[in-house]
Amino acid sequence: MKLPPFAYEAPTTVAEAVDLLVEHGDEASVLAGGQSLIPLLALRLARPAVLIDINGIGELSGVSADNGQVAIGAVTREYVAEESSAIADAVPLLAAALPLIGHEAIRSRGTIGGSLAHADPAAELPAVARALDAEFVVRGPSGERVIQAAEWFEGYLTTSRQPDELLTEVRFPAAKPGTGSSFEEVTRRHGDFAMVGLATSLVLSGGVISEARLAFAGVSDVPVRATAAEDLLAGERPSAELFDEAARRATEDLDPPADLHGSSDYRKSVAAAVVRRGLRAAADNATRGSN
Amino acid sequence: MTAIAAERYTGASIKRSEDPRILTGAGRYVDDIKLPGMLHAAFVRSPMAHARVLSVDVSEARALPGVVAVLTGAELEAMTIPGPDALMALMGWAGPMPQFTLLATDKVRLVGDPVAVVVAESRYLAEDGCELVEVEYEDLPPVVDAAFALDPGSPPLFANLGDNIARLHSRSEFGDVAATFAGADRVMDFRIDVHRHQNVPMEGRGCVASWDTDAGVLTMHAATQSVHVTKIAVAMRLGLDQDKVRVLAGDIGGSFGLKIGASREELAVAAASRAVGRPVKWVEDRGENLTASGQAREESFDVRAAVSDDGDLLGLDVKMVVDTGAYPGMGAMVPDIVSAMFPGPYQLAALGFESTAVTTNKATYVAYRGPWASETFVRERVLNLVAADLGLDPVEIRLRNVALRTDPPAMMITGRPLVGVTTKESLERVAELVDLPAFRRRQEQARAQGRYLGIGVATFIEAAPGPRAPGGPSGPMGLESMRLRLEEDGIVALFTGQMPHGQSHQTTLAQIAADEFGVPFSQVRVVIGDSDVVPFGLTGGSRSATMTGGVALHGARQLKAKVLDFAAHLMEASAQDLLISDGNVWVRGDPASAIPVSEIAGRAAAGSFGDDVDAVLQVEATFDGGEGGWSGGTHCAIVEIDAETGIVKVERYVAVEDCGALINPAVVEGQIRGGIAQGIGAVLLERSAYAEDGSFQSATFMDYLMPTACDVPRIEIEHLETVPLDADVNFRGVGEGGMIVAPPTVVNAIEDALSPFGVRIYEQHLPPARILELITGAR
Amino acid sequence: MADITLTVNGAARTGSPEARKTLADFLRDDLDLTGTHVGCEHGVCGACTVIVDGRAVRSCLMLAVQAAGSEVTTVEGLAPDGELGPLQQAMWDSHSFQCGFCTPGFVMQATAFLSGHPDAGEQEIREALSGNICRCTGYQSIIDGVLLAAERNREVRP
Repeated sequence: MKLPPFAYEAPTTVAEAVDLLVEHGDEASVLAGGQSLIPLLALRLARPAVLIDINGIGELSGVSADNGQVAIGAVTREYVAEESSAIADAVPLLAAALPLIGHEAIRSRGTIGGSLAHADPAAELPAVARALDAEFVVRGPSGERVIQAAEWFEGYLTTSRQPDELLTEVRFPAAKPGTGSSFEEVTRRHGDFAMVGLATSLVLSGGVISEARLAFAGVSDVPVRATAAEDLLAGERPSAELFDEAARRATEDLDPPADLHGSSDYRKSVAAAVVRRGLRAAADNATRGSN
Repeated sequence: MTAIAAERYTGASIKRSEDPRILTGAGRYVDDIKLPGMLHAAFVRSPMAHARVLSVDVSEARALPGVVAVLTGAELEAMTIPGPDALMALMGWAGPMPQFTLLATDKVRLVGDPVAVVVAESRYLAEDGCELVEVEYEDLPPVVDAAFALDPGSPPLFANLGDNIARLHSRSEFGDVAATFAGADRVMDFRIDVHRHQNVPMEGRGCVASWDTDAGVLTMHAATQSVHVTKIAVAMRLGLDQDKVRVLAGDIGGSFGLKIGASREELAVAAASRAVGRPVKWVEDRGENLTASGQAREESFDVRAAVSDDGDLLGLDVKMVVDTGAYPGMGAMVPDIVSAMFPGPYQLAALGFESTAVTTNKATYVAYRGPWASETFVRERVLNLVAADLGLDPVEIRLRNVALRTDPPAMMITGRPLVGVTTKESLERVAELVDLPAFRRRQEQARAQGRYLGIGVATFIEAAPGPRAPGGPSGPMGLESMRLRLEEDGIVALFTGQMPHGQSHQTTLAQIAADEFGVPFSQVRVVIGDSDVVPFGLTGGSRSATMTGGVALHGARQLKAKVLDFAAHLMEASAQDLLISDGNVWVRGDPASAIPVSEIAGRAAAGSFGDDVDAVLQVEATFDGGEGGWSGGTHCAIVEIDAETGIVKVERYVAVEDCGALINPAVVEGQIRGGIAQGIGAVLLERSAYAEDGSFQSATFMDYLMPTACDVPRIEIEHLETVPLDADVNFRGVGEGGMIVAPPTVVNAIEDALSPFGVRIYEQHLPPARILELITGAR
Repeated sequence: MADITLTVNGAARTGSPEARKTLADFLRDDLDLTGTHVGCEHGVCGACTVIVDGRAVRSCLMLAVQAAGSEVTTVEGLAPDGELGPLQQAMWDSHSFQCGFCTPGFVMQATAFLSGHPDAGEQEIREALSGNICRCTGYQSIIDGVLLAAERNREVRP
């Protein structure tokens, strides 16, 4: 399973990287952490003529918090994000999801931007980004633009990033007071991709859910916001009956993919359980005042 | 002067002599071998399950810089001798013999079937070259399940067979089947299926073949369970005299039955080396290993059970179909062992057994740790299904039916004596260890909270090597040989055809020899892995503890007697008055007389002696297995099932086993735990999956799921040691038992956990989606 | 192909690997460090684990050129020639391994994990090693080796 031949470029600035993307367009793949791309190359499922390695672009690494946002450079390693107190304090849902990504060695190299640009619908970070309405900053030949999460995920492994654009940063809103988060997933084994996962963020004030954000992993070709459930939850007090009904609404229109690990019916059925458990955990976190 | 006392190594968990190199990265596996001028091979493989090959165009591949040669199936056929599969020939297979070429020529029969081999300066370039080979295929309807293979209308995989029957249907009967069934209170019918899964050693298959043009010798660096069987296979296929083939093996990264003889790819690589006159390396990647190296266990059983209302299992009538995949392997022979083992340690009065084997467009059926294991799965499932129907406890029904240890021993209805079998004792001990009544109370409380706990028990026996057959050796493969030699420097060298790939023979055999001969453990060296040097042998079949342990023990005694005879001459004493201990020879009662063994050896080598003195300090020992015997025991698993997700967690696993005397308890326990892990994997995670069109769906570790450290619990092991059967050699094998009995143990626990839902289980693979299906009653 | 220089087991090493050559293949083929093993080439089995700039990584998922300027430790570099480091010794004492093919990956992953989590308990260790596959042992003996090493480290710490 040896990688096929490609031309290799290692730009040191974003401008250089964009120039290369302009030159090669969809003949090029961007290499960040490599934890998703290199297996595809080894299996010869991906055949880019040019590999643009952005690990050397220093300005793309780093976590900064201000203006009610946490901005994460695209090449920030997942383990760095895991260890970041800025993220732990301000984006608890992201902090909850990060340790679930694969294994430690994967997170040594895997990047926040890489995972979100790869956009595997069964991965944790896309669901988190979708739940929190993260913002995606891309730079292209005509400058920078910001893409909302709802527009970022277009299809299976497909984002709205144009071939001549580079994802440079992802911005997550800082959690409001009274936030409780959880990432609930059902996996075959510890560290596997989710068969079904749910990113949940609730804001409770005075014991009432003032805001509910739920996004699924593994139920479609993109992460999916459970808006019907969110509408139900807003303004209500947490209860088992409420969460049951939310689970029903969140899953009734799902038509999840089938694969070797589970049928569509299985995923749909499990999704309901995941919603109940995710909501319970998030509500508990909010009530406990932890996060 | 060191204390004169024999250290007792046998029976202790002596640290392995293999480990210093293993732990520091100094192991030498076949992919670590680099020879001057070495090239690398990669195979062009069929993307179709069943197709005619219309043309193979290698011109572009040959032109790629760095590619040294491309050989098609036709070209390889011209430079090799066609013949049957070497292992099947060795095992005396007399059934249908499909005709096929080394690599595919006129047709391909599975996804991954090798069609051509590219030899290049690097594996990277070889794979590039493979992509440039153009093969034109004409699709044929695929035969992807046994039902279609049995249909005379299915397109035959092999033209000369005319159909897809790999083994003609046969029936045998033991005891009076008709009368047993006619007289039974009830007859129950079951259809039980075991799914396809596979060995998956962490190191795949591979070799470095090196043709010496001047000497006309092929040296094969192999990953193999027997250097001699590989040698025979290579010599036969290349048309070479056996003394023109040398097989070397170093460290091997696991095998579990996969690496025996030589695969079609390895034979092609050997031929390629001869064709290009340079060493050629081929190491399969994980995709090849999962897709094409071979798979196992796809068997189905229609079982009728004759039962009394009190729970006596009186008779079984079994129809077995085994799916042997696309090329001949030992799959067609498996029914023989399955039927012989079917009664297990129980008092079965009658057994009817029919079997058929079919060929399909899937990977070849290969030996996988306890190839006959389905007999235990089916029997232990049937016992639970019968118990559930009659309202009996699973331990109770087993105690009722188990054969007691009698003298003379009870006979299996299929003809083997159950000598030394302690199944009853292991059942009782397991029940004690898990405190069944306490578990049942805990289970009830948990159910009230919506939590589903279950307990499963299963027993097994394995022929390790098996009881002595009248007038013959114990176990298969006849006598075990070993050469033992006292080297000039005082090292006791054991030359064995065993080829350990995780079994720790370099430690265990040294323990035995050190004790018997009287030298420190570090003064024994176990020599393996060179067909020019070691006697015939094969590691497999759970036999080495007895056969090789036994030949080491007796051989060491024989060598010691020889050495003492020689020493007597040197020391002017009588041999009967001499002892060896702690590496010294000395006269009984006179510690000051001690001479190091190394000095004795040096003088034997350096001196010249008359005809009446035998100074060749070497023996060729053989051992027939002594009384042989069974290993076996009872396993128990406790599981918890999340009824909303179908996820199964194995909370506790207990094994009470009996393999007689233990050479090295840590080694024994490691073998047991590894087998159990594979059994847990088979039930919860592992499946070799094919789509309806024959395309293979589990070609990566993302789809073929292996058990990890979070999937296998701490396994508690207790040993029973039966009353010795043999005066000296009471070690019996344990290699396969864990993998044989763990699947029914876990499935029994799952069924018990799901009993509130009225679930009955007739299959072995239970991923979460299937668990949910069972709960919701869909079948 | 470009020349790269990196530090491997404390020594400066150079090479000219093709860009597509993985770090695993570069270590094994170009630097003759065959202790690192290749088990799957798609980042799941962990046999290829090495330590790069202080972190355990899967060397089959890094290009060799990406390691230029980095400090790499392989299993051969854990202890001076012929010796065993404390983790290796503990694993020897615990009969951790059988065929040995997965061993270097486990040793490197456990080394990295213990240095960051010296007081980890069994469940944490199991989770930390759940990305390394062993087919022979059922894992218990490996976990015991890591626990023993951690215990011994604690005894030695002031």
